[in-house]
Amino acid sequence: MRNWRNIGEFEDFLDDGGIVEPNDDIPDPYRKAVFRFIEMHANSEYMGGLTERDWIPKAPGLHRKMTALAKSQDEIGHAHLLYMVAADLGIKTREEMVTDLLEGRTHFHNVFHYRVHSWTDQIAVAYLVDAAALASQQAVFKNCSYGPYKRILRRVIVEEGFHMRNGEEMMLLMARGTDVQHQMMQESINRWWLPSIQLFGPDSKPDDELLRWHIKSERNEDLRDRYVQKFVPQLLAGGFTIPDQDLRQDNENGKWKISDIDWQPLMDTMRNIGPDSSRRISDAKRAWYDAEWVRTALDDATKAQA
Amino acid sequence: MNTYEVFLKKAGKEPFSHAGSFDAPDSELALLYARETYGRRGEGDQMWVVDRANLLIADQDDLAMADRVHKHNDGQLLAELRRSGRGKAT
Repeated sequence: MRNWRNIGEFEDFLDDGGIVEPNDDIPDPYRKAVFRFIEMHANSEYMGGLTERDWIPKAPGLHRKMTALAKSQDEIGHAHLLYMVAADLGIKTREEMVTDLLEGRTHFHNVFHYRVHSWTDQIAVAYLVDAAALASQQAVFKNCSYGPYKRILRRVIVEEGFHMRNGEEMMLLMARGTDVQHQMMQESINRWWLPSIQLFGPDSKPDDELLRWHIKSERNEDLRDRYVQKFVPQLLAGGFTIPDQDLRQDNENGKWKISDIDWQPLMDTMRNIGPDSSRRISDAKRAWYDAEWVRTALDDATKAQA
Repeated sequence: MNTYEVFLKKAGKEPFSHAGSFDAPDSELALLYARETYGRRGEGDQMWVVDRANLLIADQDDLAMADRVHKHNDGQLLAELRRSGRGKAT
């Protein structure tokens, strides 16, 4: 078992590009921080997967239904993989994490605290939200000091890429569709633009421990800015407007500047009091208890084999 | 539930490598879950699934001790010799 005499020595190890493994003598604050981060990621994949599932019967046409099915399996699969990695940190079991989520004691990404109103909302989620989530996951993957998380992120990122391509494809179909489709897509962009921007969080604090311990490798504001620079032109090219009256382009460097962000909606989602938080959580809870019989059957199978 | 570890091998000369872990109640479902969790998109053409309880894990210090300087040659002296003196290629 590798160990470090103090947090300073541990931080030197991390600064040198050291990768932490579950069988190391991991300093407590790091263990807690990386656990919280992965648990939140797992919760978000789980809640995202459940929303995706809602759209399997409603997706237009067999192809889109099958894609929605594959995506649901991916998202729930990501939650599964991440809960396994989190559980190996020895702080909570997988079941404890799920229970905490369903009881509203832990958190999940802001974007899953809003209602998906229409099929174009679902496209906006696939296009804008998945891209924002993917961008922040890639930034973690690039330099993450916790080995098991980094390795599992490789897989998650490949699959999220599939979702994003689907999202962009569907958005472009709507962009080139009928006036009604275009209008519907615009309304969905209006609803999802700001939550997507807020997914990156407020500017990183100078002493952010996630950055110091190389769990995250990029500052929130840098990720957010890169996202804006990429998506503003894409949306404009699709003939859409951005729901930001103060959005402007810098004459000199051509960079897009969004208006100041009101962080209250994000703070509300972090307290599970967002616009759709309680419905989402109770829906997840119902799904969990509806499947109780499956878990019981599996447990019985384990006992029968033993 | 038991925890299983999955190893995948891509076609060709790549060795098996660790893909991740998951929980399953028995070996029949373990194979099904392994395939559905880690092998949905051609990630490998061979898969090993091992109950974590059956993994033997080597002690890292012992492992580090097996590595000795005399088992390597960093090539520095060789490079020096090649650069100069008798036996130098002309």
